[in-house]
Amino acid sequence: MTIFEGRGLTVKYGAVVALEDVDIALEPGVVHGVIGPNGAGKSTFIDALSGRKRPSSGRVLLNGGEITRRSVRWRRGNGISRSFQRTSVFGSMTVGEQLEMVARKNDEPDLDGILGTLGLDEIRDRVCSEIAYGTQRSVDLAIALIGGPRVVLLDEPCAGLVADESVRMLQHVRDLCKERDVAALLVEHDVDGVFRTCDVITVLDLGKVLATGDPAQVRADEKVIRAYLGSAA
Amino acid sequence: MTTTAPLDDITESMLEGPAPGRRPRGTLIGLGVGVVVLFAGLAVPYVITDTYRMSLLLDATILSLMALGIGFLARHLGQISLGHGAFFGVAAYGVGVATTNWGWSPTAAVGFAVLAGTAISLVMGVLVVRASGFGFLMLTLALSQALYSLSVQTSARPLTGAHDGKLLSYDREMTFLGLTQADVMNPGLFWPFAWIALTACAMVLWLVGRSPFGTTLEGIRENEERMRFSGYDTFLPRLTAFVLSGAVASLGGALFAINAGYVSPEILGFTTAGDSLIAALIGGFGMLAGPVLGTFLFVYAQANFNFGGNLHLFTGIALIVVLVFMPGGITGAFQKLWRRVRRSRR
Repeated sequence: MTIFEGRGLTVKYGAVVALEDVDIALEPGVVHGVIGPNGAGKSTFIDALSGRKRPSSGRVLLNGGEITRRSVRWRRGNGISRSFQRTSVFGSMTVGEQLEMVARKNDEPDLDGILGTLGLDEIRDRVCSEIAYGTQRSVDLAIALIGGPRVVLLDEPCAGLVADESVRMLQHVRDLCKERDVAALLVEHDVDGVFRTCDVITVLDLGKVLATGDPAQVRADEKVIRAYLGSAA
Repeated sequence: MTTTAPLDDITESMLEGPAPGRRPRGTLIGLGVGVVVLFAGLAVPYVITDTYRMSLLLDATILSLMALGIGFLARHLGQISLGHGAFFGVAAYGVGVATTNWGWSPTAAVGFAVLAGTAISLVMGVLVVRASGFGFLMLTLALSQALYSLSVQTSARPLTGAHDGKLLSYDREMTFLGLTQADVMNPGLFWPFAWIALTACAMVLWLVGRSPFGTTLEGIRENEERMRFSGYDTFLPRLTAFVLSGAVASLGGALFAINAGYVSPEILGFTTAGDSLIAALIGGFGMLAGPVLGTFLFVYAQANFNFGGNLHLFTGIALIVVLVFMPGGITGAFQKLWRRVRRSRR
C-alpha cells in the first residue's frame, strides 16, 4: 500500500541533469533507504520530494493525489516532514522551547514521548547551540517527528556522527518508523548502516536509479557492485 | 521549581531574550517594573526645571520611539532597517497636513498620522520583509529615499512645503488632548505624552517578545527555512513585526511634529534614520532598553559636542569604539558583565 510516491522525477540545474526520471514508492512502516556515491543526486532527490526544489518534470503524489506544486508548509500540514543533512535547528532557543514551538503548530499530543525516545528530556532546558553536535542531530530528528507525520524524509541523519552515535541514530529511526507506522525515506552515506536498517533500498548513480529492492537483492545486483559497492561488498 | 529571587528572575529573563509564556511571574514582575518606571518618569519635569535640559530629554524620548522600533526588528528578526525615517517622517507630515491643510484638531491629526505612517510601513513591509541582511537594509533605504524625493518635489509643495518644510498651524481653540499650540511646545507640559507613549510602547513590545508570537519570530530569525518545514508561515509574522515596529516609529513622528510645530524634509531623509540606527547600535540590541539608552546618549552628545562642525567625526569615533570594544552595544557589555558576575558567584 503506497502512501507517498515520486514518479519520473527529473531535476535540472541549467544544463546539468542532477536527477533523471527517478521513481520511488514509500509504504507505511517501511524504512526505504537511498544510497549512492557523492553526486548521485541523493540530496536533490529529497529536495524534490519535500518541495524544497521544484522538479523540472515528474510528479509527487500523496495517497494518489498530486502534490508536486504544493508548498513545504502545505506538505508539513498534510503529514510530510523532513530533516536536513546540515543540522537545521534553532540555535538560540532551548531544546524544549523549539520543540514546543513546533509542537504548537503540529498538534503533538506526546512531546514528552518523543523527547524520551530520543534521550532529549535531560537537556530540555539547554540552549541548542551549546549542546553536542550529535545531540543536535537528535533535535533535528525530533523536529521532523513532531505532530505524527505519515511520511518522514531524512537527509543523512548520521552525517557527522561518530560510529556508535550513528548506530543509535539509525536504530531510533527504525524503531520510530515501526512504532508509529511511518513511511520513512532514509538518504544516507553510511552504506552498512542502510543495509542494516532499511527494508527496501534504492541505489542512485549519476542521477538515475541503478537498482531497487530488498537489501539482499541490492547487495547481489551486478550493476550496483560494479558502480558502487565494489568487490568489498 | 525555580528558587531564584524575584529580581534575579526578571533580570535573567531580560538578559536571555524572550522566554515566551513560560514564566508568567516574570511577566507580571516585568510589567510591574514598567508601570513603576512609567509613573516615576512623570515626575521628571518637577525635578528638571531647566527648560533646555527638559527639551533635550523630550527630544530623546520622542526619537527613542523610532529607535525602539528599529531595535525591535533587529532583536527579534535580526533585520536592520534604514527605512524607519520614512514612517517617522510620513507621520510627522501627516500631522502637518491634517492640521494645517484640512483643519483637523491636533488630536485627530495624531491619530490619522499614526495610521498613515503604519500604512506606509505595511506597503513597504510587503515589499521588503522577504529580503534579509544587506538586501533588507538597501531596500528600506531605497524606499525611504524615494519618499524623501517625493516630499521635496515642487508639485508636493502645497502638502509638504517641499524644501522649506511645513509649519503647523491650527485654531487657537483646538488643543492636543487639552494642550494649546503654545503648551505643546513647552517641554515640561508635553513630557507626559511622550513619556507615556514611550513606556507603553516599550511594554507592549516587551510583551509581544515574550508571547508565543515572539517565539515564532525568534524561530524565523534563527532558521527561516526550518520554520517553513515545520509548518509555519514565515511571511505574515515578519510583516506583522515590521508593521508593529513601523507603528511605534510613526507614533514618534506624530508626537515630534506636534511638539516641534514644524516638519522639515530632513526627518524623512537618510540621516534621521541613520542617526537613530547608530544610536540603537550604541545602546545595543540585546535588550529592548538598549536603543532607548543609546538615543538618550546620542541626543545628549549631539547637544554637547556639536562644535566646529565636527559632530559627525565624533559620532563616527563613538560608533567605532562601541563596535570594536562592545559589539553588543552598551547594554550588551552590561549583560556580559552580569553573566560573568553570576558565574563567579556560583
